[in-house]
Amino acid sequence: MARLTGGDLWRVAWRTPFLQATWNYERQQGLGWAFCIAPVIERLYPDREERCRRLAEHTAYFNTQPTLASVALGAVARLEEERVATAAAPPAPDDAIARVQAVLGSALAAVGDQLFWFTLRPFVACLGVLLALGGSWIGAVALWLTYNLVHMTLRLRGVGWGYAEGPAVLGSGLRGRLEGLSRLIAQLGAALVGVVVAALLVPGGDPQTVTFQATLAAGLTVGLVTAQRPRPSPTQWAIGAGALCIAAVWFR
Amino acid sequence: MIERFLLTLILGGIAALDATPIAQTMLSQPLVTGTLLAVVWGDWRTALETAVVLQVLAATTAPIGSRTAEDYAVGGVVGVGTAVALAAGRPFAFTQDACALTGVMVGLLCATIGVVPLKWQRRRNESLARWCEERLRSGDGAALVSAHRAAIVLAFAVGVAYCAACLGAAVWGLNAFVGAESLKLGHAWRLAQPLWLGIGLAQALHAFVQRRLSRVAVFGAALIAAWLVLIVGTP
Repeated sequence: MARLTGGDLWRVAWRTPFLQATWNYERQQGLGWAFCIAPVIERLYPDREERCRRLAEHTAYFNTQPTLASVALGAVARLEEERVATAAAPPAPDDAIARVQAVLGSALAAVGDQLFWFTLRPFVACLGVLLALGGSWIGAVALWLTYNLVHMTLRLRGVGWGYAEGPAVLGSGLRGRLEGLSRLIAQLGAALVGVVVAALLVPGGDPQTVTFQATLAAGLTVGLVTAQRPRPSPTQWAIGAGALCIAAVWFR
Repeated sequence: MIERFLLTLILGGIAALDATPIAQTMLSQPLVTGTLLAVVWGDWRTALETAVVLQVLAATTAPIGSRTAEDYAVGGVVGVGTAVALAAGRPFAFTQDACALTGVMVGLLCATIGVVPLKWQRRRNESLARWCEERLRSGDGAALVSAHRAAIVLAFAVGVAYCAACLGAAVWGLNAFVGAESLKLGHAWRLAQPLWLGIGLAQALHAFVQRRLSRVAVFGAALIAAWLVLIVGTP
């Protein structure tokens, strides 16, 4: 009976950066999921026909936060292994794996979106901006390294965690640790925004002009008011603000 | 000059790949691509001023669920690329400010309109996914790799083509205008830059605070402490 090796799980982990290569509105990450899980299927299903059939089933709809998809991949790899191991007994139905995959996808998206899109990404952006304000390249390096320290660690190790814990992976403390990390980054981020605003108001110890300070305060106010609604987006507000500034100077 | 434009276009393609199809390492963020463009074009001031504004505005633009967010990957490259290309051979500070303003506006517009090619590309991927499933069901195990290869080539090509179209149109169409109206545009930059930074930072603060008053207090304390340290000077 075929068993998964550490090498198989690493092959899955190294494929996870391609999870969204074929992202589309119909199946979202479905095809990418099949591409990532392929080393597991190749190991467990020696028969070519059966292997292709299982891979085709894995191309169905799937979507989650892309970094934490690794955890779901590990958990489903374990289920696939158990499915083959119990094949002599009544085999697990195909849709049981699909159900676990869907549930894990939703749960990981809830945790991952909060951690990566709402806290870590704005945090590293503010860190990079703070360091780049003086005209240094260090800001870009700090942004990239800080983000990838968390992102690549979770992406590469997530498969192993998912495999070790199986479908119960989010109940074993991982969810608590990720939510704790998210809270910590949010608190640090709030402090960081304060430091960035101070650095903009008093760059190098010399206060900016009153016009600059007043316009920055106006921008912060507009930003906080508009953040309460998703539409218009910040980009649309920024285009409007830019056009307004150009018009103000032109027709002064 | 041609080599610099070519390197900018290649960076646009790489940024388009990093944004969604491959790895999502944040290489596509405007500050990172802007810093790389500063190295390519040798204009650190204009590149970083433009990149910082675009980065602050891009920070909270997230691809949640099936939403196609603004394309700040190519928008960042086009914005900073336009700014540094227009500023080339213009040494005065106010002219560089005018180029930075033009770059940010072009970058924002390019990011907004960039949703259209992204949606087109994703619809092409739907056909690719159906083709791949059909091939797999007929026993062709190599279809997955072929489909991924095709999608990656398409994403890179769309990124480069869109970057080339926007950068070419912006630099060709706005070069004379920026030269003639640099004084007014420079003044507009001094108004717009803090306004943009404020809007972007407020969005980030809103994302961090999440209606928790303790975090507002952390923000206020950090602002006052950093302000005092900067005014008084470190001991």
